[in-house]
Amino acid sequence: MTTDDALASALARDVPLGAFADVGWVRFAFVAVRTGPYLLSMPYDPDTGIASLAPRFPLYAWDEREMMQERGIRVEGHPDPRPLRSDAAGTMPRPIVADGPGVTRIVVGPVHAGIIEPGRFTISSGGETIVHLDAQLGYQHRGIERVLEGRSVTETAHGVARVCGSCSAARSYAFASAVESIAGLCCDPAVELARLIVCELERLYNHLADLAACCAGAGWRPGFVRGLALKEEAMRLCARVGGHRLLFDTIAPGGVKRGLLDDRRAVRVELDALAVRVERYLDRLFSHPSLNDRWHRAGIIGHDVARALGLVGPAHRASRGAVDLRAFAPYGAYAFMPPRVATASAGDVLARCRVKRDELRDTLRLLQAALRELGDASLPPPRTASWGDGTAVSAVEGPRGAEIAAVRLENGGRIACINLRSASFRNWPGVARAMDGGIVPDFPLVNKSFNLCYACVDR
Amino acid sequence: MNALENLYYDISQEGWAIVASPRHADIVTVTGPMTVAMREPARLTIEAVPGPSLVVAVGDCAAGCGPWGDAPNAGTGAGAECAAAVTVLGCPPTPEAIREGLRRAAELLDGDRS
Repeated sequence: MTTDDALASALARDVPLGAFADVGWVRFAFVAVRTGPYLLSMPYDPDTGIASLAPRFPLYAWDEREMMQERGIRVEGHPDPRPLRSDAAGTMPRPIVADGPGVTRIVVGPVHAGIIEPGRFTISSGGETIVHLDAQLGYQHRGIERVLEGRSVTETAHGVARVCGSCSAARSYAFASAVESIAGLCCDPAVELARLIVCELERLYNHLADLAACCAGAGWRPGFVRGLALKEEAMRLCARVGGHRLLFDTIAPGGVKRGLLDDRRAVRVELDALAVRVERYLDRLFSHPSLNDRWHRAGIIGHDVARALGLVGPAHRASRGAVDLRAFAPYGAYAFMPPRVATASAGDVLARCRVKRDELRDTLRLLQAALRELGDASLPPPRTASWGDGTAVSAVEGPRGAEIAAVRLENGGRIACINLRSASFRNWPGVARAMDGGIVPDFPLVNKSFNLCYACVDR
Repeated sequence: MNALENLYYDISQEGWAIVASPRHADIVTVTGPMTVAMREPARLTIEAVPGPSLVVAVGDCAAGCGPWGDAPNAGTGAGAECAAAVTVLGCPPTPEAIREGLRRAAELLDGDRS
C-alpha cells in the first residue's frame, strides 16, 4: 500500500490530529479506536513538494501553512497560502476580509481589553452581523520546537511544561508517554492513577474558568464571580496536590514528581467540600433562564463543519462528536477507570457549556474514585532511563481536547525533532467559523465558550 | 493575573481595577520574553498610557530568566525592553506576588506625584 493509500484509509477511518514536518518527512498524526495514536510518515522530496490536503480536508489548513513557513515545505494548491505567523521583522500577514456595500471592518487586538493573550481579530461586518472573522494568532511564537532540538529528555520536559499555562499537565503527559514508549518503559498502576488525578485536576480548574467566563460573556456577573472563586479553590487544590497552581512538572518522563499527593487526607477533604460547592454552582447556572437564553443559539458550529475542521475536545463533542481520547483509545489509568463521554448536539455556546458541566461532574467523580483506589500506595520517584533513540507519538485528552506530542530521539536520547500540536491549534479555525452570521457583541461570549489557549498554538 | 479580581485577592479593595484601555491606565503589566511580533504592539500600548505611568514585568520570562530566553523569536524579556520599574518573579508568579508588585508600583507612582 502506498503512503497515499494509507493516508486515504486513515482519513476515512481514524481521527486525524494534524500534520507536521521533520527532516525529509511529512508526518500525519491519527488516533485509531482502541489502539491509539500513530504517525503516517511520507518521505518529502523538495523537488516535487506535496499536494495540499486543505481543499478537501480543511483541518490541515493551518498545519500546511506552518510547514510552509517554518520548515520550507512546498505545498501545492493551498487555498490560503499566507504565512501562519509574522515574518522575522514581526509583520503579520494581512487579514482576509469581506468587501461589499455596507460591509465595515473592525480590528481588535493584538493587545485586548482584558487579561487575555494577544491575537488580532479582523471582523468584517454588515452592521452588527459578522460576515467573516479573521483570527490571526502567532504573536507569542517563540520558536520552542527549534529551541528544544538537541536537548536531553529531562531538559525538554521542563520546557514542554511551559509552552502554555493551561494545558501544561496534559502536554507533559503526552511528552512523557511518547519518550516512555520509545524506551519501552511502563509506569506502575499507582503512578498511572496519580497521572489521572493530575490530568483531571487540570480539567477541573479549566472547565470552571470556562463556565465563569461564559457567564461574564453573557453579562451575568454572579456566575462569573462565583465561578472564578471556585476556579481559585481548584487551583489551590492543584497546589496542595503537586506544589504548583498550574501543575507544572507534576508529570515527568518516567513517572510523577516527588512529593506529589503527599497529604492525601487533606486533598480528599478539600476535594469533597469543593465537589459540593461545584454541584451547587452548576445547578444554579443551568437553571438560570436568562443566562441559558443568552447561551442558546450563540456561536453555532454544525456537525459537518466541526468534522471538516477536525475540531477536538468539548467543542467537537458539543456538535455531536463522540471522541474523547480517554474512552476512545484509553491510556494510563483510564483503561480501568473510564470517563463518561459527554456530548450535545446543538453546537452552540449552551451545548459547549453543557458538555463542560457534564465533564466537571464526571471529573469530580473520577478524582474521588482515583483517590480511593490509590489509597496509601506509595508513589516511586520517576524512573530514569537511558532514553534511547526512536520516534513516537502520544495523545492525551486535555481540557480543550487532544494534546499531541510527536518526538524523535537520536544521539542517545536527545531531541532530534519535536512537534507539539495542541487542541487549541486544532480548534481556533472553529472559533472563526462559529462567528459566521453572528453578532459582534457575541464575539467575547463565543470566544469564551471555546476558551482556547494562544501560547500553545504559537509555540 | 486573572486571579487578582477574584474574591480571594480582590484588588478592588485597594481601589485598583483592570481597565479596558491603556488610556485609562496608570500601570501596564507585561509578560513573556517579548517576541518580534509583540514589539510594536507593546510599544504603542505603553505610549498610549497618560503620564505618569510605569511598567511592571510579571513572570520569569519578562524578567529575562525564563526558559525561552535563547529562543530564536524571543528577546531578552519584555521587562527589559519596556523599561519595567518593578519586576515580579515566578513561573508564574503567585497572585500574592503580583499584588505585592502592584503595591510597589503604586507607591512609586504616588512618590512621583507628590
